[in-house]
Amino acid sequence: MRTVSRGLPLLVAALAIAYPWLAPNYYLVYAGALTVMYAAMSTSWNLLGGFTGYVSLGHSAFFGLGAYGTGLLVARLDLPWVLALAVSALLVTLFAVGVGIAAVRVRGASFVIVSLALVSMMNLIVQGWRSLTGGSTGLQVPSPFPDLHRGQTHMVFFYLFLALLGVALLAWWYISRSRFGAGLRAIREDEDKAESLGVPTGAYKVAAFALSALFVALAGGLYALWFGSLDPIFVFSILIASYMVLMSLLGGVRHLFGPLLGALIVAPAGEYFLIALGETQIHLTATGLVLVLVVLFMPDGILAKFTRKRAGPSIPDESADQRLQGVAP
Amino acid sequence: MARVRKALTIFSICALGLTACAKTDEPGAAQSPGQQQGPVKIGISLPLTGDFSEPGKGIQEGYKVWADQVNAKGGLLGRKVELIFRDDASDPNRVSSDYESLITQDKVNLVFGPFSSRLVIPAAKVAESYNMVFIEPAGAAAEVFEQGFKRLFYAAPAIADDHYNYLADYITKLPADQRPKTAAYASLDDPFAQGTAYGLRDKLAAAGIKTVVDEVYPPETTDFAPIAAKIAAAKPDLVVGGTQFEDSVGLVRALQELKVQPKLAAFSTGPTLAEFPAAVKGAAEHILSPVGWSAVSTFTGNQEMVKRYKELFGGEANEDAANGYTVGQIAEAAVNAVKCVDPTKECQDKLTEHIRQATFETVVGPLSFDDKGRPEQAHMIQQYVKGKIEIVLPEQAKTTGIVYPKQEW
Amino acid sequence: MNLLLQGLALGVLTGGLYALLASGLSLYFGVMRVVMVAHPAFLFLAAYLTYTVHTTLGVDPFLALPLTVPLFFALGVAVQRLLIARLAPENLAMMSVLLTFGIALTIEGLLGTFYTGSYKSVSMEYATRSLTIGGVHLPYDKIIAFGVAALTLAVLFAVLVKSRFGQALRATIQHREAARLVGIQTERVAGYGFGVGLATAAVGGTVLALITPFFPASHWVWIGKLMAIIVVGGLGSVVGAALAAILLGTVEGLVLVAVDATWATMMFYVFLFLTLLARPQGFFGGRLAHRF
Repeated sequence: MRTVSRGLPLLVAALAIAYPWLAPNYYLVYAGALTVMYAAMSTSWNLLGGFTGYVSLGHSAFFGLGAYGTGLLVARLDLPWVLALAVSALLVTLFAVGVGIAAVRVRGASFVIVSLALVSMMNLIVQGWRSLTGGSTGLQVPSPFPDLHRGQTHMVFFYLFLALLGVALLAWWYISRSRFGAGLRAIREDEDKAESLGVPTGAYKVAAFALSALFVALAGGLYALWFGSLDPIFVFSILIASYMVLMSLLGGVRHLFGPLLGALIVAPAGEYFLIALGETQIHLTATGLVLVLVVLFMPDGILAKFTRKRAGPSIPDESADQRLQGVAP
Repeated sequence: MARVRKALTIFSICALGLTACAKTDEPGAAQSPGQQQGPVKIGISLPLTGDFSEPGKGIQEGYKVWADQVNAKGGLLGRKVELIFRDDASDPNRVSSDYESLITQDKVNLVFGPFSSRLVIPAAKVAESYNMVFIEPAGAAAEVFEQGFKRLFYAAPAIADDHYNYLADYITKLPADQRPKTAAYASLDDPFAQGTAYGLRDKLAAAGIKTVVDEVYPPETTDFAPIAAKIAAAKPDLVVGGTQFEDSVGLVRALQELKVQPKLAAFSTGPTLAEFPAAVKGAAEHILSPVGWSAVSTFTGNQEMVKRYKELFGGEANEDAANGYTVGQIAEAAVNAVKCVDPTKECQDKLTEHIRQATFETVVGPLSFDDKGRPEQAHMIQQYVKGKIEIVLPEQAKTTGIVYPKQEW
Repeated sequence: MNLLLQGLALGVLTGGLYALLASGLSLYFGVMRVVMVAHPAFLFLAAYLTYTVHTTLGVDPFLALPLTVPLFFALGVAVQRLLIARLAPENLAMMSVLLTFGIALTIEGLLGTFYTGSYKSVSMEYATRSLTIGGVHLPYDKIIAFGVAALTLAVLFAVLVKSRFGQALRATIQHREAARLVGIQTERVAGYGFGVGLATAAVGGTVLALITPFFPASHWVWIGKLMAIIVVGGLGSVVGAALAAILLGTVEGLVLVAVDATWATMMFYVFLFLTLLARPQGFFGGRLAHRF
């Protein structure tokens, strides 16, 4: 059993690395890169959502800011793309710290509202600040690899997104074993009790919020470099954020590989609904119903159903008191 | 673990070096003989759902009417035309992935464009990088043509900034005592809508007509009364809206409520749609808008298209359908002229060169393109006169005279 | 100066409409502690039903209300009893957002399928005229919207304050466990609370249909605005939401005439963040917000 659960992730990783070479055409490489991007983003989302239970519907704000930050640095200041990516991700993280301090003052419903508002605000600012961002005409970002043809660019970005996914997974795994992670889980179980036991809940929540934003911003930056054209209403979209939530939830927010599994299901399924239910808007209804069903009947996700024993790292079901014993100094 | 790392290194080097490891379906690779005998496949991604779904549907119908008529005539170079539609749900990621799959997976012979300036740029990028010629029915914003695309052509009479050219001419040539002195502009924050309003603004401002209000509102705007209040306070002689549908109705209603009575009112897009007169009740009378096509014109193929459209879809043809049809007419003429319709670079180059220098007879009139793919003609101006849509400008196309100043609404 | 007065007048009228549209959201939050993202989608469902009644029967749009109000009340009870009540209580706030988000998508898809994506509108004769008082124009459709909103809210307050059901409802909002202890069937009351909330959506939808054209995706732009209103007002407080709605409507109207539309919309979010920093429980009551 142990070897299987150890070996499976390695096998999947090997398959993922080989994927662009196995895919028969560049479209499938492109679709693969998009799926890996979503997987990386929902894993990042889960750094906040999975540990603390704070559901953010506003992570597309960080995606969009990362994308516009990177795009602007490359297009307007001619920075090398790696530097632009790093600088923009850092700025977004700082921004997220600021927002986090205001946002995590409230819990539950208010937090969701704040996160929703954040997306709308960023959309308004980026769309309205025409002289800097190009506004509704969009921002065109020169390709970092002008010598490669399109298909080759897809392959490069497939691996870049894969690397980002790897780092996000590592971060989640590391945190899940750390004292920091135990503190975050305590916040989810009973925030007041955690606080009374001396867990610095405010600082922990802001840290998780910012870390989660960092990875999403990196994904946004890579997206800008890869895709090459940005439009405020499409990058600051609540739908992108809700995809991150749906994927995490479907796979299982308490599991390391939950969001990844969710992305592998949701991304192709979305494509399928669109093709199968074709020319009417009924595919929106299909997506909506799937979300309703998951929330009602599988709130812990697929992995929770199949892994009563542990396959891969996950957050164990223990009582709040047990967990608090682990964090109390 | 070490082996995995080694494999990873090899893969990464290979991926980043990217010389030896090529796919078999490299764009431009030779076609198998079998495929050349099959139907001519044309790939199209359209917003059949989402924000742009209405115009998307119109364009799809235009494409279908064209394909139907071409096939009735025996097809393109003797091969049947087959249209492959994908729904992009008004989402740029989807647009790209659609064209990506149409070109690399379905190996289509030609691609036709999607709808909206906001989706055309990502789509054209894909087509351009696979060396496919890209004729599009709806990317009129000036920015579309500033991306350095070499194979993009806009199949309508004029880009957004030039839509009001005839109206600008008319106004600036009015005798001094009749000429409006002040103008108010309100525009949706959208490259196409703004392009139309600002094209007119710049020309009128240059002719000495003072801009007294210049408002931009984001697509989220639902309440137009305060914008109308600003316009009311400035009491302009003419009001110009860079609009789509919802906001054109909102603005007209709000202007009425705030008792703004300009001598001339022009709005883009909204008034050309069938739902407009009912939505604003009697206020439609004498409203002007630019329009690229007329159901009653006798341009090449227009009456046949209008007739066939009615047979196939039951309703009246609209401008979106005409634009889609125009794309087909240009592609058809170009393919017949260069005698090839393959996705190879060689054939697509020939098509591109031909389209760049030729003039095409279409349902919107003769069309030719400049070196950036911009059409070089102009939009007509329509006006609601006695409740009917009439073409009032230019002189040679008009169905009735322009009414100025307009009646009160 | 006249322009500012005009902006102020329009803002107050619009604020009244906002108060009606947001009142349902406050009720849901009050009785169940849930954020109903689907409320604007239901508003537009009501707008479409109004449109159908108006165009097929040719009657005044307000005559759709005897049909839509009971229907929406029943729908509200059903949504609460069949869906919301099934969610695990420990993570109710978050899960309910996702659940209602799914409902919103479902409604949008159905509207798009049955009514197509094109714009619909209900235009009445009075919709384009206005009353002029001292140089300030007050559009009749906005006056009607304000009047209907005021009337509906007055009825709502009367029910909440005077009736037995209202007392039970308020008790449930204030302290669920205590309410249960004194013999109130909180489950049933919560269901009815949802019903009443959705019934306000039926009225709100009819009013919206009168003043603006709509299409299936119209509900998105309302989510952020209405959410900002109920946070500024204090989650769960119907009175607070109404006051915040008037406040934000007025600010919006003034900023629209003095600056531009982007900043006017931005005001909602600026006030939202200011509220969170200064008084997370909201400015007008609603001591619940901080806890939930």
